[in-house]
Amino acid sequence: MMEPSNGGQVVVITSGKGGVGKTTTVTNVSMGLAQLGFKVVAMDLDIGLKKLDLIMGLENRVIYDIVQVIEGECTLRQALVKDRRFPNLFMLPAAQTRNKDDVTEEQIKNLCAELKKEFDFILIDCPAGIERGFRNSIAAADWAVVVTNPEVSAVRDADRIIGMLESAQFQDIKLVINRIRPEMVRGGDMLSIDDLLNHLCIDLIGIVPEDDGVVISTNTGEPIILNQRSLAGRAFYNIARRFAGEEVPFLDLNHTGSLWDRIRMFFSKQVG
Amino acid sequence: MAVVDIKGQNNGLVFVFRPGTIDEYITELKKRFEANPSLFRGFSVTFRGEALKNLTSEELGALQRLCLDYGLTLALPPSSKNTRERDTEGSDIIVKRTLRSGQKIIHDGSVVILGDVHESAEVIASKDIIVLGRLEGVVHAGCFGDQSSIVLALRLMPRQVRIADKISRPPSDSPPNENPEMAYIEDGSIYVREYRVPLTSRKRASN
Repeated sequence: MMEPSNGGQVVVITSGKGGVGKTTTVTNVSMGLAQLGFKVVAMDLDIGLKKLDLIMGLENRVIYDIVQVIEGECTLRQALVKDRRFPNLFMLPAAQTRNKDDVTEEQIKNLCAELKKEFDFILIDCPAGIERGFRNSIAAADWAVVVTNPEVSAVRDADRIIGMLESAQFQDIKLVINRIRPEMVRGGDMLSIDDLLNHLCIDLIGIVPEDDGVVISTNTGEPIILNQRSLAGRAFYNIARRFAGEEVPFLDLNHTGSLWDRIRMFFSKQVG
Repeated sequence: MAVVDIKGQNNGLVFVFRPGTIDEYITELKKRFEANPSLFRGFSVTFRGEALKNLTSEELGALQRLCLDYGLTLALPPSSKNTRERDTEGSDIIVKRTLRSGQKIIHDGSVVILGDVHESAEVIASKDIIVLGRLEGVVHAGCFGDQSSIVLALRLMPRQVRIADKISRPPSDSPPNENPEMAYIEDGSIYVREYRVPLTSRKRASN
């Protein structure tokens, strides 16, 4: 996974189902990679329904978008929005007034080839669904991350997406389980990590617990990873380290029972 | 010469489309169906022919609906967007992977799957289906009407089992069986029983 192929690596973050946390994952992991010192671009390919700029808190800095780059209205460099916190993090915004049919797989491949020369990681925020937008998003990717929630509808869509990625000859597909609630898993009311891994049969790259702070950070445009005390933030930081090839142990939510509760309570008091 | 050739093959029908327009196809098929409705009813039909490539998916859909209206079943839908494997006819195949949601295998012969069949995945075979793993999807064994076909899985927990022209759903309250099970047709209905290792080999194993 980690061997750089002519420069940077292109990673697509996908899920099938909407609302499971693709954009949140792209935002936080790209920021985590920037924190680790890598040069990173987060690319929004949800053309027509963009939100990466919003969640990264860069909405009012957007001048040009990806369709304008492709159509030659501006240069790639002009369209890249520099993050205000990390000088080595950039975002390539999607166009809101266009749609997914306005770009082709070939154009995305060319764009990524260009970006690979200069950046270590290009993270693609894939739209929900399995249509044109999905095919565009996976066209240039070296490997893929599938985000899912511990619920049957998200898992079924993840299964479908993994099947499609396998058909597209992806060798390297990793799983992020987002919004897991350990107390519900323990009570038998939520699918456990083991259930998910048993069913989907791919390697895990991250487990992110449910965290109210994510909602707040979405509203304020301050990604949760910047909050050192948040468990979700730490989980995203761990994912970024695993992207970079580090071996980082997973939070073992199954066996931390009371300790976990205590940590949660401690933090909820602290964060409020 | 007719724009559609109709051939019989392995208890099913094959419609071979020659160059023509969608209207010509529909008129031709209607004419053939009307001429002898009972001749077609119950058969599964496969679409073949280069001319199919010139049709839009709506037009193909219209042809499929027409066939369904006259009581035919569709054996091999012509679109091939999903992962779909069609191998040499009549032979058995071994599929060494897990079938995920949305993936489909259609095969004329028996199919052995070394892996799981996930929910919303489909396996359709003209003979037996054997899953060396969990079977959670939809299976149709003996799809051309062979009632001696069986479905066997290490964990048999499908949404639906179809053998020949019979359909069965597992009772919703039955706990999953941890042992291999086999579905088969007897006296016109589908039964499921635990698959036991034949006595002789079990004795040998315990010694």
